[in-house]
Amino acid sequence: MTEHDSPDATASGLPRRRLFQGAAGGAALGALGVGSAWGLGAATGDTPVADKDGIDLTTQHPFYDEVHPAGVQTPPQRYCIFMTFDMTAGTTATDLQSLLARWSAASAQLMAARPVGQVRPTSDVGVGRDTGEALGLDAAGLTVTIGLGTGIFDHRFGLANRRPHLLNALPSLPSDNLDTASSDGDLSVQVCADDPQVCYHAVRNLARMARDVVQTRWTVMGFGRASAGKGQQTPRNLFGFKDGTRNISTPADFDRHVWARDAGWMTGGTYQVVRKIEMNIEIWDADRVSDQEHIFGRGKSEGQPLTGTAEHDTPRFAEKAKDGTAVIAPTSHIALAAHENNDGIKILRRSYNYTDGINRFGQLDAGLLFIAYLNDPGHFVRLQRKLGASDLMNEYIQHVGSGLFAVPPAPKRGHYVAEELFRH
Amino acid sequence: MHESRRSRITGVGATVALAVSLAACGSSSAGSASSSAPGKHPSGAATGAPVSGGAAQVQITLTSSGGCELDHASAPAGPVTFSVTNKDAPAITEIELQSDQRILGEKENLAPGLPPVKFTTTLSGGKYQLYCPGADRENVTFSVSGKAAAPAGGSTATLLAQGTKGYATFVNQNATDMVAAVGSLKAAIDKGDLAAAKKQYAGARPFYEKIESDVGGFVLPGFAPGDNAGNLDYLIDMRQSNLDPKVGWHGFHAVERDLWQRGKITGSTKKLAAELKTNVTKLAGLVTGITYRPEDLANGAASLLEEVQRNKIKGEEEKYSHLDLADFASNVEGAQQAFAFLKPGLQKIDPTLTSTVGRQFTNVNNSLTPYRDGHELGSFKPWTPKLRATDAAELSRTVQSLQDPLSRIAQKVATAG
Repeated sequence: MTEHDSPDATASGLPRRRLFQGAAGGAALGALGVGSAWGLGAATGDTPVADKDGIDLTTQHPFYDEVHPAGVQTPPQRYCIFMTFDMTAGTTATDLQSLLARWSAASAQLMAARPVGQVRPTSDVGVGRDTGEALGLDAAGLTVTIGLGTGIFDHRFGLANRRPHLLNALPSLPSDNLDTASSDGDLSVQVCADDPQVCYHAVRNLARMARDVVQTRWTVMGFGRASAGKGQQTPRNLFGFKDGTRNISTPADFDRHVWARDAGWMTGGTYQVVRKIEMNIEIWDADRVSDQEHIFGRGKSEGQPLTGTAEHDTPRFAEKAKDGTAVIAPTSHIALAAHENNDGIKILRRSYNYTDGINRFGQLDAGLLFIAYLNDPGHFVRLQRKLGASDLMNEYIQHVGSGLFAVPPAPKRGHYVAEELFRH
Repeated sequence: MHESRRSRITGVGATVALAVSLAACGSSSAGSASSSAPGKHPSGAATGAPVSGGAAQVQITLTSSGGCELDHASAPAGPVTFSVTNKDAPAITEIELQSDQRILGEKENLAPGLPPVKFTTTLSGGKYQLYCPGADRENVTFSVSGKAAAPAGGSTATLLAQGTKGYATFVNQNATDMVAAVGSLKAAIDKGDLAAAKKQYAGARPFYEKIESDVGGFVLPGFAPGDNAGNLDYLIDMRQSNLDPKVGWHGFHAVERDLWQRGKITGSTKKLAAELKTNVTKLAGLVTGITYRPEDLANGAASLLEEVQRNKIKGEEEKYSHLDLADFASNVEGAQQAFAFLKPGLQKIDPTLTSTVGRQFTNVNNSLTPYRDGHELGSFKPWTPKLRATDAAELSRTVQSLQDPLSRIAQKVATAG
């Protein structure tokens, strides 16, 4: 994203921004009404422009016949469930192939707001093929994004020689405190929608239909998108700061930074890096706001870089204060992550906030489900080496989960995700 | 436990064996003028499917427009091979060939992009339905003309019926063995030998756990169905968590509490052991009267795995002795026995499901291997809170991989012709 990009510049015409109509519209309209009232107020410190993104629950995204997989360039929906799976011991390449075909067909059904089979079987001793909790709900912009972990290319399935050469397990990174119970997996499924029940139904049914060949490994339920997509207002993370102001949004940047250029079956796909980042919420909440802004390098209300006045002002990292120190600290989050300071590297962030109740220390168990898409996982490694070593924010966060997956391109109708992988 | 178990036995010996029709599949004569000789295909039948390699060849194609189409609507009697291709229909993932709601053959997990799959079945003259859930037209009629020769071996229904008889013998044997093992437990308790009593307790538990899905519904004569005082499962296997204060604590787990938590044998323990002996003897007598339907075996196996997930994984069953893994293994063994008796018939209906379930049983058994320890009571490591904290999730996941395919068996065997 360049300094000229504005989230609203190309907003018109996006179906998801249509004013929501229909029976379930009351709440959304109500919320928009409140937002408008706020918008009329003077732009004082605590009343920034409210998020006016409308939600059209009837929105459907195509699964087949796209160049790229759904759920990457798709403007982030409000909810996301990320789940990983391991292939069960003794399963074969044919099982994997059949699984990917079944998941593909089911994803197409789910994204079209259809059940994956009978909810009420005709026979009384039958078990339902669809669990039923999304019957009558709209697609809510559902996308299903399927990823393949490094394990798929080990000795088990005879696919070692088909491994994309950029798909290497992430190295251990500074400040990592990873838990194996929330890391890795042979397969990943990212399910995002504007209705949490639609999300849950989708991931539950994908897991259920495959229980004979996969075991669930870990999952995170995300809410409140924490990165902006094209045409969206910049949302806030659980630290209360705007996140994703300088996210990738132009087709040119997607081509340059996101879509895989590896030859063969990965062409048009991408790589998915997932990190479960725990936030020390209570400690953060007790920190003075000036320190919080110092850590981010941005103002809390407007999200402006500390060298500017508006959110989308380009940060000036060289600017010095009267005392000779940098206005934006070199170890602030935005300074370390900025493409200007990383040889132009950009990654697409498609993150969500998460909460998982109370942790074993009696603190809020919450943080960021960080999901990034990029055409070289090495780019994330490079950024995180810097951030993990120096980021002022490290005092308040820790990376507790991690995963890396290759996301194949969207299949053509009549085909399935990663079908090319099995053509030797 | 008994209050949540979905008992499939509504009364003592009430289950009646399914009246299995061994008649040929066709519900009525096709009345075709061009009927062929039994077991032989007329060559070059004008309207029927072409015969190749001894079988009529029928192609079934699933399409995105909601189509589930046969390339030939009829075939001569005899072996018919159906080849199913899902061209581009995400909504249709299974098909069944049915006759009067009975499944004669089926294919599942059909998804666009996968290679065609085939199944062959020998059909006699009559009308059949190709059932395609999710298609615009879910039922497509398929006609067979003439008569096929009777199958040489046993039909699917015969194999399943044989399986239910074999399973009944297995259950009866377990019940008899349990009476003997509880007798040894009572003897050790009567002697006041705490160590021996613990050992005998561990030895007696597996028999009940292997067949508990079959013995959960017995109400003694003269008691109302909801009265725990007459519920044999309550009197034998209830735990503290489902204590009915009106009836009090009885059975295995009351003995377990005395031996492990109180660490001593009292007069009350002896009374509990004597009562347990009486009740398991009554149970063994009642069990001999049960006959089973194929779906009873399937449902019973599924509920044994539910028992594993609900009580054993959590360590609720053997709260004091921590013998849960031994119970776990016994539940699995009971389920595996039921499956083994269904297997010859199920293999004919759905070989893929049969091999999936077989493989998952192997996985579950393998996952228990690290916990086996011949030096421990029950020959398994104690399922302590500490071990549960680290290992329960993984064991639970492995059981899940078995539960789901297993849950699909009942419908198959209940409707098989």
